[in-house]
Amino acid sequence: MPEVAIQTQKLTRKFGDLTAVDGIDLQVAAGQFFGFLGPNGAGKSTTIKILTGLLAPTSGSMQLLGVDFAANPVEVKRQIGVVPEGMGLFERLTGSEYLKFVGRMYGLDRLTTQRRSEELLDFMQLADRPKTMIADYSHGMQKKLALAAAVIHGPRILFLDEPFEGVDALAAGALKALLARMTERGTTIFLTSHVLEIVERLCSHVAIIHKGRLVAQGSLEELRAGISGEAGTKTTLEQIFLSIVGQDGTERPQLEELSWLM
Amino acid sequence: MADVTQSISLLEQIRLVSALRWRILRNSMRKKNNRLDLIGMIFTGVFGGILVLGLSFAFYAGAYAFLSQGRLEWMALLFWGIFVFWQVFPIFVAGFGANFEFRTLLRFPLSLRAFYIIGLAYGFADFSAMASVCWLLAMTAGATAAKPGLLPAMLLVVGAFMLLNVTIERLIGSWLERLLSRRRTRELFLGLFILSMISLNFITPLMQRYGASARPAFLRLLPYFAWLPPSLASSSLAAVTRLAPAGFFLNFVILLLYLVLFSALLWRRFAAQYRGEELSETAAPARATVRPIAAIDDGPDRLSLLSPQVAAIVRKEFCYLTRNGFAYLTLLMPPLLILIFSMNFAGRHPTVGGRGVSAEMFFPGMMAYLILILMAPAYNSFAFEGRGIQTYFTAPLRFREVFLGKNLMLVSVLSVEIALSLAMLAWRVGLPSAHTLVATCAAIIFTIIGQLTIANWSSLTFPRKMEFGQMRGQRQSGMAVLVAFGSQILMGGISAVILFTGNWTGNPWLPAEAFAFLAAAAVSGYFASLDALTQLAEKKKEVLIEALCR
Repeated sequence: MPEVAIQTQKLTRKFGDLTAVDGIDLQVAAGQFFGFLGPNGAGKSTTIKILTGLLAPTSGSMQLLGVDFAANPVEVKRQIGVVPEGMGLFERLTGSEYLKFVGRMYGLDRLTTQRRSEELLDFMQLADRPKTMIADYSHGMQKKLALAAAVIHGPRILFLDEPFEGVDALAAGALKALLARMTERGTTIFLTSHVLEIVERLCSHVAIIHKGRLVAQGSLEELRAGISGEAGTKTTLEQIFLSIVGQDGTERPQLEELSWLM
Repeated sequence: MADVTQSISLLEQIRLVSALRWRILRNSMRKKNNRLDLIGMIFTGVFGGILVLGLSFAFYAGAYAFLSQGRLEWMALLFWGIFVFWQVFPIFVAGFGANFEFRTLLRFPLSLRAFYIIGLAYGFADFSAMASVCWLLAMTAGATAAKPGLLPAMLLVVGAFMLLNVTIERLIGSWLERLLSRRRTRELFLGLFILSMISLNFITPLMQRYGASARPAFLRLLPYFAWLPPSLASSSLAAVTRLAPAGFFLNFVILLLYLVLFSALLWRRFAAQYRGEELSETAAPARATVRPIAAIDDGPDRLSLLSPQVAAIVRKEFCYLTRNGFAYLTLLMPPLLILIFSMNFAGRHPTVGGRGVSAEMFFPGMMAYLILILMAPAYNSFAFEGRGIQTYFTAPLRFREVFLGKNLMLVSVLSVEIALSLAMLAWRVGLPSAHTLVATCAAIIFTIIGQLTIANWSSLTFPRKMEFGQMRGQRQSGMAVLVAFGSQILMGGISAVILFTGNWTGNPWLPAEAFAFLAAAAVSGYFASLDALTQLAEKKKEVLIEALCR
């Protein structure tokens, strides 16, 4: 049986009367490229924040690599890397300074931190502006730097919240190659994205959250098997997503109401 | 084709913009912190209203008195007062302005003419403009009461003067917006602004020393002021009173020429904005350079005594300090203040007035004042972290290490500052007696470390985001300011009691002993508080992240 990287039991988060995450039971095996999908406001970012320690759950528990998060948060955080919503960069540092800072925060020694920073900056094509502050980076450059910082300590689980948003096709290609190599080497990647094509191409397993509840979870093949598509054609992730999330018919906008626009 | 068949009227557009500003204010009140701010705004509004009303009476009385007594040239003083206030006040309060970009209106189908007129109307909504209009109306009423026949000329001149002022104010605002759109110029401007504010303190000693010799030069310059708008407005009215229509027309036409000139300049600026002038924050792409292979620094780690996490935070804080123009100025302030105060009060270098105070009083007093200034940022120590705050919660560390790193950097900077200030004090005022010196040093440790514990709690509980070198919307958290004020009063009160007891018992070493004991207690209390603060950080992390990641 494969090692379990992420496991949650009845994970719940409430904001006043609103239940953003409602009793989620997630299970992600080690080495999986896991896509976490859902419509806007479904609870994706809240879940990823809870899993990375940025938000406390109202109830429920979670274990990462078999370690209980609540009991030993520092040990868990040593094993994970995060690109949070908004990237979490210190904008008054240069790219190199930021990577060195993060490396040391994760407890890497000085020489290793310095060597890895140089290599990551080269790989991400950020090395030609050594004195530029992060505040002056473009959005795509900041995304690449945030990813570099998330992997500098060689995490066993990588959490990525919309990693390809605002990244050009060229940079996205390099990032995808890097992520694919990491999963080959056993890293678990937990990714949220609105772009279903990216998730379909990269992820082996998917979970769909809707109104705070987990409505589907499994490999792409398992999800396809549960959907009746046209004979002879392969069901796309978009079709699966729409059939699960929009199945009650209330989710789709009623175009007839906008007749003046037609 | 779009369904828009006709443009809406200019008045309707102005009404829409006013409604938009009102809704922005009303919606911002949904948050508790903003509601607390509203109370402050109401107080400010009432205070401002009283000030405007009081000064309106003064302008009424001034205009009435000058005209009824025939002192016509004195009217220029009133116009100059209003002119300076109208142009300078908006620059001073830029940091408290509503967070609304007038340029965002450009996405809507406005003509350049409508954009220009709305821009001018928007200028009349500022406090300085509203107050100035009230004062000008009060002047008109006063002048009419003194000389009823002056009313038509007064209305003409005051109308032109209002329009000229709002045009110049919008022009300056527009140029400032362009200038401040880039981070570097913004920081430079902020630095110059603060330096100019500090330098105002030198006016008194400079006037005392050079005032008499500078007076003739100033008097020689005075006639040239007659050709500037406030003097022209006054001269126009004076000419009417003297029944000299040619004089009125000459001065009024020059005033109108100013109006035409500044209107043309403002039209140019607004036209550039209307065409989509790019005021980008992002730096131009740098030319790709072949980067030399960086040498791996394998020398000894200068912070090897600290844990890697604490050392990383100290280094990061140092980087931030070196890139914060405002922090530089804060560090420059203590020696500068010692210089300013010692020029006025010192015993060794008495001023022209010959006043002086002893080093026994000046030394501890000055150090208390400096700590008051230098400790203030510690009460909102995460202000400049921005989204980076998330790193502290995703990295494998306990929050006590964050505080240790940040506090260590602050204490290092304070040590350098205090050492510099002590040296400056010794040079300017002279050293106090040994018991005062020891008591002052122990009191410094007590007040700094004692305040750090409270400041760390305040930073977690009342965080407020601030941007480097940005003036607009840069206000400290009101509660953090209150906590800082309260704890400084507490420290000051304890110190006063100790000093009084030393004086009362006639034991000069008693304050030194008491402060040494308190310093030791403060250090112990500080380390004991770190674990409790770590737990508090875990509880407050959502508040902290929400406040700083906006």
